[in-house]
Amino acid sequence: MNPSRARATPFSARDRRTAYLLAAPAAVLLFGVAVLPILFAAWLSLHRVILVLRERSFVGLANYRFLLHDPRFWSALGNTAYFAVFSVTAEFLLGLAFAHLLVSAAPGQRLLRATILIPWAVPAAVSGKIWAWLFNPEYGLITRALPGSINWLGTPGYAMPAAIVVDVWKTVPFVTLLIFAARLRIPEDLYRAAQLDGASSWRIFRSITLPLLKPTLAVVLVLRTLDAFRVFDAIYVLTAGGPANSTETLAIYTYKTLMDAGDFGHGSTLAIATFLCVLVISLAYLRLLGPEGRG
Amino acid sequence: MKRLGLALAVAVVVLFCAGPFLWQVLTSLRPEGDLTSLDFPRSLTLESYRSVLTGRPFARSVLNSFIVASATTVTSLFFGATAAFALAKLELRGRSFFLGMALLASMFPGVAVVSPLYLAVRALGLRDHLLGLVLPYTTFALPMAVWILTGFFRAIPDEIYRAAIIDGCSPFQAFRRIMLPLAAPGLGTTAILLFISSWNEFLYALALTSSARARTVPVAIGLFGGDHKEPWGEIAAASVIAMLPVILVALIFQRWIVSGITTSAEKR
Amino acid sequence: MPRRRLLAGLAALALEAGGCRRRPVVERRPPGPIRLVFQHQPFLGDPSPLRQLFEDFERDNEGIVVATELLPSAPGAVHQYYLTALEGGSRDFDVFIIDVIWVAEFARAGWIAELSSAFPPAVVRREFLPGAAEAVIVGDATFAVPWYVDVGVFFRRSDSVPQAPRTYSELVALTRDAVAQRPGMRGYVWQALQSEGLVCNVYEAIWGHGGASMLGGRLLLDTAEGRGALDYLRALVACGISPGSVTSMAEEESRRVFQSGDAVFTRNWPYAWAEAESVGSAVRGRVGLSALPTADGSIGRGALGGYQLALNASTPAWKVDAAHRFIAHLTSAEANLAIALAYGRNPPRAAVYRDPRLLAGAPAIAGLLPLVERAEPRPVTPYYPMIDGTLAAEFSAAITGVRSPAEALRRAQAEVDHLMRGDD
Repeated sequence: MNPSRARATPFSARDRRTAYLLAAPAAVLLFGVAVLPILFAAWLSLHRVILVLRERSFVGLANYRFLLHDPRFWSALGNTAYFAVFSVTAEFLLGLAFAHLLVSAAPGQRLLRATILIPWAVPAAVSGKIWAWLFNPEYGLITRALPGSINWLGTPGYAMPAAIVVDVWKTVPFVTLLIFAARLRIPEDLYRAAQLDGASSWRIFRSITLPLLKPTLAVVLVLRTLDAFRVFDAIYVLTAGGPANSTETLAIYTYKTLMDAGDFGHGSTLAIATFLCVLVISLAYLRLLGPEGRG
Repeated sequence: MKRLGLALAVAVVVLFCAGPFLWQVLTSLRPEGDLTSLDFPRSLTLESYRSVLTGRPFARSVLNSFIVASATTVTSLFFGATAAFALAKLELRGRSFFLGMALLASMFPGVAVVSPLYLAVRALGLRDHLLGLVLPYTTFALPMAVWILTGFFRAIPDEIYRAAIIDGCSPFQAFRRIMLPLAAPGLGTTAILLFISSWNEFLYALALTSSARARTVPVAIGLFGGDHKEPWGEIAAASVIAMLPVILVALIFQRWIVSGITTSAEKR
Repeated sequence: MPRRRLLAGLAALALEAGGCRRRPVVERRPPGPIRLVFQHQPFLGDPSPLRQLFEDFERDNEGIVVATELLPSAPGAVHQYYLTALEGGSRDFDVFIIDVIWVAEFARAGWIAELSSAFPPAVVRREFLPGAAEAVIVGDATFAVPWYVDVGVFFRRSDSVPQAPRTYSELVALTRDAVAQRPGMRGYVWQALQSEGLVCNVYEAIWGHGGASMLGGRLLLDTAEGRGALDYLRALVACGISPGSVTSMAEEESRRVFQSGDAVFTRNWPYAWAEAESVGSAVRGRVGLSALPTADGSIGRGALGGYQLALNASTPAWKVDAAHRFIAHLTSAEANLAIALAYGRNPPRAAVYRDPRLLAGAPAIAGLLPLVERAEPRPVTPYYPMIDGTLAAEFSAAITGVRSPAEALRRAQAEVDHLMRGDD
């Protein structure tokens, strides 16, 4: 949000009417399909709802109090944070590098553009299977190619890094594409001028590319962190949370509580807790990245 | 020397992105007994493809996915673009509230809303209909569109919008004739993002469809196999077939991104 | 969509959100034939024998048409589907398949209709295998009818081990010998991936140590037999009798190792037999099948698996009789036989194993009778889906050495007792 910019434009009543007309359909849709179900989940989180027992009783904040002393919740939160930090960092750096390659004069551009979206286009459930096959402890390409024949998916401490690799593979195209599109908007004249001034590539990157990409990078960072914190498909197909729950993230814990156990009260509480974690992180980002970063 | 380095980097990236998938393609062509081998297969067979395309209505699922993903993309792009334009360029009270709502919507774990969405879709009589998927898919597609497009509209200088208004355009005309073409790269990018997210969706599709007429690819792939056996060759073949429409869409929109960028540069 | 329908939909949604669900619907039968919707997982292979069963039913029951819908093969996805649909009071389907471990849960939740009138418990107990009958009878009422059964069995490479081991120590000794003769061979591969398969493997070891699953409604975990079982399984991995890779193996991963000729022993469901004996298998004709070994040499009990047919509790009354007839038809001895011959699924009816057509057409299946007779269900409790996640996680922790078996069992017992605390 940039108030100075908004004020700089002359506005009339007609303008304002148009603004509401344009924003209204999206607002109504968002409210109906997103906000209402969330409120519904928040309401459920104040209840003990166990489908098997056909129970539904109001319990106030009891579910949240339980969460504070639930070791499985804290372990899932830790796993999720670990996953989010490493996967988002890796995706961010690789995305920058890949986007740089896409705008560079590298040979094979056409091939690069065609292949870079592949990982993302593979349905998530299938990409999990592809990698499970590559990580197969007996016949996997990766297991065989690396020394020590590590049982990646079956050893606590190794399974999470393997899941991070899969997620990075799957989502780097998303990050690359966004950065690439933003990078194309930077006028080439700026670069030419800097090159004439004899600036080094690193310096050009630091003082032109990075500042001009900042708004996009902020969006990428926020969107990716939100997704990483809710990671489900990739890990669920790969390990389903094992071994010894060492890859159980908040979303997997939530899923199992809701859809395996049918405990909708506790499950909704977990969803709201995930939501609150993500909210705190986004607020922190917005503050950290400053006003230009916000949008 | 630098060119060689770049070529090498491109090769590494291509290998990283396409390698696992190419391995999958190779798997789809292997005879069943050859699956656990790491060598190049002794013989290749199209048996898996034949079985995917004849035994079940898989082609129908590909079509369903294509329809659902396209409809979600178009709807969310349209409502997202209008809203994003209003948010970025017009005076709108409750702007932060709106963006906050969009962010909120994209922060919530999807699995927790499966149940309320199921009830809503069923109450509307849309269960097991393609339209019954498009509506829930806007839960994640629309916020994403609003967020990304607001950024793109912001990046277009205010002067251009003001000039259009001074030239006598109404705000809506300025949006349609000037701003939208300028935002073409953003629209193209967002379209790819939305299409693929909808294409990949599994949780809602599983809960909201039950027959071949509405089933999408991720769920249809889950139908291969018996209760224990996982016919890996068929799954590989199905996922390769399922990739084709996505590649097509990506190529179309990519052209849009690049051409949009050149035209906007010319206009400026 | 007509606007009236939209409004009606919104009104219905408001009612449901308000908790006015499952109001009894008095409904008259619409004119025309009765349409039964049957949801099931696809079988691998030619779909025509199954279709034939439906067509036979329609021919013999004029005025009823059967519509079939396919479900994904992953049990987790199916459970999620039914949880959402049945809790929402869906009436889009009538007869559907249900895993052995969900019967008590769905019955307790009131999602499936009691079938005792058409399938009295006494008759079910008399005609079906003991384990299969036990799994569908909840509190002396029938809630589902077995469609086909599955049982955990023990496979060996009959070319290197002519005689199956009967005790755990024989298994260890035979593995050492066989691997010494053929270096590079894996020993015993089973399913230690954190999943339902691991829970089955552990229960089989608990029974193999003489333990029981439940006592008076309480799950038995932190017991001498439980510790014996987990100590034994952990030692298999720690001492190299089983490769370290078992901790990321589910059924398919371990089957591939065995079928590629890389392992001496494996535990799996009978489908692995059909696969191992198929054309192109590296071990074709060199596979022996037996009961699982035990601590004391008695015949091991395999975990019971398989699917049952259940009736949606929201199916309108005028359809119920047709649905009963349909279930009876699909679970008849003839249908059992057809499914066994076409798809290799084990019949749940004991009499079918003596049918000469089965003996001639699928002798391997007929030969499984002593094993399916001894198949044991995992704990039959409505809480099972709530607790099996905990079981899998704690068992996995013990096998991968994160916790000692004793500690893992203590934690599992505490957690399970907490979840099952006297609400019943």
